[in-house]
Amino acid sequence: METLKISSRMSHVQSQILPLNIKPYPLIHNSRILGVYSNKGRTFSFTLTCKLNTVKGNKPSKEKTVSGRISAPGSDGAPPVVEAEEGSVGNGGRKVEEPKSSAVGSGLFKKLPRKVLGILSNLPLAIAEMFAVAALMALGTFIDQGEAPDYYFQKFPEDHPPLGFFTWRWVLTLGFDHMFSSPVFLGTLALLGASLMACTYTTQIPLVKVARRWSFLQSTETIRKQEYADTLPRASVKDLGVILMGAGYEVFLKGPALYAFKGLAGRFAPIGVHLSLLLVMSGGTLSAVGSFRGSVTVPQGLNFVAGDVLAPSGFLSTPSDAFSMEVHVNRFSMDYYESGEVSQFHTDLSLFDLNGKEVMRKTISVNDPLRYGGITIYQTDWSISALQVLKDDEGPFNLAMAPLQLNGGDKKLFGTFLPVGDDNSSNVKGISMLARDLQSVILYDKEGKFAGVRRPNSKLPIEIDGTKIVIEDAIGSSGLDLKTDPGVPIVYAGFGALMLTTCISYLSHTQLWALQDGTSVVVGGKTNRAKGEFPDTMNRLLDQVPELVESSSPEEPDTLSGF
Amino acid sequence: MIFSTLEHILTHISFSIVSIVITIHLITFLGDEIVKLYDSSEKGIIVTFFCITGLLVTRWISSGHFPLSDLYESLIFLSWSFSLIHIIPYFKKNVLILSKITGPSAIFTQGFATSGILTEIHQSGILVPALQSEWLIMHVSMMILGYAALLCGSLLSVALLVITFRKNRKLFYKSNGFLNESFFLGENVFENTSFFSAKNYYRSQLIQQLDYWSYRVISLGFTFLTIGILSGAVWANEAWGSYWNWDPKETWAFITWIVFAIYLHTRTNRNLRGANSAIVASIGFLIIWICYFGVNLLGIGLHSYGSFPSTFN
Repeated sequence: METLKISSRMSHVQSQILPLNIKPYPLIHNSRILGVYSNKGRTFSFTLTCKLNTVKGNKPSKEKTVSGRISAPGSDGAPPVVEAEEGSVGNGGRKVEEPKSSAVGSGLFKKLPRKVLGILSNLPLAIAEMFAVAALMALGTFIDQGEAPDYYFQKFPEDHPPLGFFTWRWVLTLGFDHMFSSPVFLGTLALLGASLMACTYTTQIPLVKVARRWSFLQSTETIRKQEYADTLPRASVKDLGVILMGAGYEVFLKGPALYAFKGLAGRFAPIGVHLSLLLVMSGGTLSAVGSFRGSVTVPQGLNFVAGDVLAPSGFLSTPSDAFSMEVHVNRFSMDYYESGEVSQFHTDLSLFDLNGKEVMRKTISVNDPLRYGGITIYQTDWSISALQVLKDDEGPFNLAMAPLQLNGGDKKLFGTFLPVGDDNSSNVKGISMLARDLQSVILYDKEGKFAGVRRPNSKLPIEIDGTKIVIEDAIGSSGLDLKTDPGVPIVYAGFGALMLTTCISYLSHTQLWALQDGTSVVVGGKTNRAKGEFPDTMNRLLDQVPELVESSSPEEPDTLSGF
Repeated sequence: MIFSTLEHILTHISFSIVSIVITIHLITFLGDEIVKLYDSSEKGIIVTFFCITGLLVTRWISSGHFPLSDLYESLIFLSWSFSLIHIIPYFKKNVLILSKITGPSAIFTQGFATSGILTEIHQSGILVPALQSEWLIMHVSMMILGYAALLCGSLLSVALLVITFRKNRKLFYKSNGFLNESFFLGENVFENTSFFSAKNYYRSQLIQQLDYWSYRVISLGFTFLTIGILSGAVWANEAWGSYWNWDPKETWAFITWIVFAIYLHTRTNRNLRGANSAIVASIGFLIIWICYFGVNLLGIGLHSYGSFPSTFN
């Protein structure tokens, strides 16, 4: 050992060579062993495999030092070793999980004929299905959805159909007037889902099995055939291992051979993407068949029973206890910007159970719904239900407001009419009142001329044609959407998994092999994604490998194989 | 007042730098590559990046909400994303090809945003109730970062297609009939017909580089797009009452996602790689524009915030 002349950095490397060398033993056999102990804790299974293998390794005298070394790094605090150990333990955990998923998969699919699987997992077919889904969705945005048949008769007439053939018969027979629930679209989606499952089972899970098998390459020829290959003269494969560990690789050494990898998660993540897509799809299906939905416009001060509003959407929709709950709209209010535009809507809601006890009270607004017992109440709409008016100090009268049709735009306008004079005459005239929101009311006299603007609550009277009018209050009504959706937790789980696995998929799985060939080390490697930067990063890494002084070279292979 | 002045100054600085950079690019494109000029154009983009960052921050402070509530702001953010994608490889000093795409893209979006077309909505407006949520930052920024990366990546693919087709046509004149079987597999054609000519070697290197970088950038953009769509779905479940409404914009974002998923799948298959995947990416390029502008032009659906001003009237 002392013949090795090593730079100052390498002295610290020396102390770690032993643990580094222990690694290969568990890993040669570990795939089976880890499977056996899959139920136990991660660290536990790791130490177990170590012991087992050192016994197999025919060196009983060394066993104590070996286990001592394994527990040592934690107390020693030698950073690279700890890092490596954590990595391999985490890795073991992942490996433990993979067989489970494949077991579930095989149980599900064994009954299906192979042929169907083969056809479904065909990539060009899957691509064609994706194109079909995309095209149908695009078509769904071009054809106006959910209109009455008459609309389509006019839009897609038989004498001058768009594109020459696309008549209303096409639209209505294929159900393209409600594209996103039409059998054609849902069928294509289901087919895509089937392809997804088949592909995950036939192509991706075997990929895991292949990737889990690590192999040391024993001939320099095969190493040189890799995408990236280089020969380091006067170098030691152990030094390379340490450098690679420092760069975040999992390193395994067995005699003169080295195997290292990085970013294994990036290899497995696409499977996760597919599985989480399936999760989202199943959650979406559950939402479609098992939810309740309903919307209601309630004037301030009134109440309704949740179950009366909610209508089932599918055959799996089952009402819950919370459906008997009574919802009371205590107050509806609007916030405004200084410019007069609406900034937010608020509804103060109280929930009462069957005994008339208030179980919950919350002020909801857009983006802040109320959730209780599986029911979610959203603030979605509003209108003005009535004006409270004093006429010549009589009243107050409640004048119902009606929404007025505006040509285009999403601005609202409400109006009402207060008859003045003889109610029984055939030609009733009166005062018209218009309001855009709860802030101000515009009044017009009998002739339709502008009379003035009053704010509700201002108590300021206005004289129109001899009638004194005070607008006491404007009563808004709150537009609420109610729903129950059992699919949401599943869909959200799928979303979370999808985000995570998509991000991990960006990682590149890199594998390296090296072999001590006399005094030189032959290094080869490949990576699956970041192929462009790979040669550069490798060159930079290999530049760090220290060069050994000539004299030590003949003994070098011996020292290595001694471990 | 200070804010609006600052905003004005920053807009003008970034716009004038952008026009200078355009000129430099044109000069280097027409004439020989002048290293100094090229370097200054790179620096120009960096300055633009900081100007746009300043612009966004000013708008954020002055309006009190994240500056992504209308089309103008989202365009500014798009050009910010382009310049971000541009300057990251600049510091790593290895991806020259990418900067050839991102630079001009940043220039065009910035130019379009600051040009007269959208002057009416330069004033940062108010935030409608549905937009008042923390999800705004995550959803919109992720979507636009995704658009920017996907646009860059698919532009690289378009460039690849242009180069491959031009080469194929040239070869077609030279050797008729040979190409019938391998029209798309540009590299094979190259390997079989013309050996070791320096120009062709450079070209195949370029094609490989384009292919590789468009793949990397698209996968990055795809990640952003996925996060963007999903966070949008979670937000929709808070604000609109359902995580998926088949709103036109949603649908088109999903179409974009599917098209780029197709792209990523064609990459896994050896037979479909190369020009085929580049064609898919080019389709994706068009679809992003439909998703980003087209749907807004129609002004339909729930996502009508980012519309052109004319649709409000």
